[in-house]
Amino acid sequence: MIKRLLALDGVQVICQFRDDGAFVEGYGMMPEQQMAGLAMFAHDYKRIVQGNADQLSMFTQMSGWTPPGGWVVHGQTLSVCSIANLVCLVNINEASLTEVMREMKELSSW
Amino acid sequence: MSILSELADLPGVICAGEYSYRGDRFSYKGHMNDEQARQASIMCRATTMSVHMQSGILRNFCDQCGLFPNKGWVVKGPQFTVCVIANVFCFINEAEGSLNQVFKIMRAKLFDVSDDLV
Amino acid sequence: MPSLDQLMTLPGALAAFEFSDKGELVNGKISEGSSLNETALDLLSHVCVANTSIATMQARGWENMTGDKGFYPVEGFSMIGLDWTTVTHGQFGVVIENDKADLEAAYAALA
Repeated sequence: MIKRLLALDGVQVICQFRDDGAFVEGYGMMPEQQMAGLAMFAHDYKRIVQGNADQLSMFTQMSGWTPPGGWVVHGQTLSVCSIANLVCLVNINEASLTEVMREMKELSSW
Repeated sequence: MSILSELADLPGVICAGEYSYRGDRFSYKGHMNDEQARQASIMCRATTMSVHMQSGILRNFCDQCGLFPNKGWVVKGPQFTVCVIANVFCFINEAEGSLNQVFKIMRAKLFDVSDDLV
Repeated sequence: MPSLDQLMTLPGALAAFEFSDKGELVNGKISEGSSLNETALDLLSHVCVANTSIATMQARGWENMTGDKGFYPVEGFSMIGLDWTTVTHGQFGVVIENDKADLEAAYAALA
């Protein structure tokens, strides 16, 4: 199912990981070992973003930060973006991040 | 004596606390109220998650890296220091307490705690 | 401002390093026989900057919320590993062996 994300422009890799960070499946131009690394990074990063969102809620006393919907790390030519237990590597010159995030959100609810 | 009581009895220790890695529980001994201890637990847990990931990344760049696995962290301010080992935190008033003493005890008691639950 | 030579005299010092405010390694010294290398020190520099920033956010938030002053400005951060600890303050850092670690001396040397 998640493989269909590769049909979007600029999407190079899509992976799914378990709640403990273990790699479930991945598709795209990357060796499986690196995909497992990407999945673990996404898992760790998700928890850090959750921790930061918790602190933001606590310090600002504002609701709406938690639970975080996802995250994007934007590089010069590549971005890594994640929603729920999915993570995607995209070429930002070719991809529409809005479209990628929307599609990941839809896939994550299946 | 529990590690929290032992730490809380040391000179200069304001509060010692423990949080679950899942973030759903905490306990503490010392001079904080429930809300402060809850907030301290949220902050300490967030930093612990972060340094855990950093230490894992560092391992890829240095053979037999002694910074891996991560065991904790310390942050120092002008008057207060926070020392965290495993899932236990300790707030120290620097004018009255010794970070080295706290670290020594926490290292002896908490370095062997498994980090499987992080 | 500390010097790298001075930091290397701390008990159990394995490396001393200086980095830019963005976390890029500027200069480093590594003790003979240590498995540390320049790439690791560069990454460690970024780790130091990242954690100091997060700790500063927390110190600010905590002081505003509780009214307890004395956490800000952050005067140092340490990352404790199984065998080594990195201690950082400002744009300098030092890696020391846990068995010989004197954290108070390290913070004083970095001040």
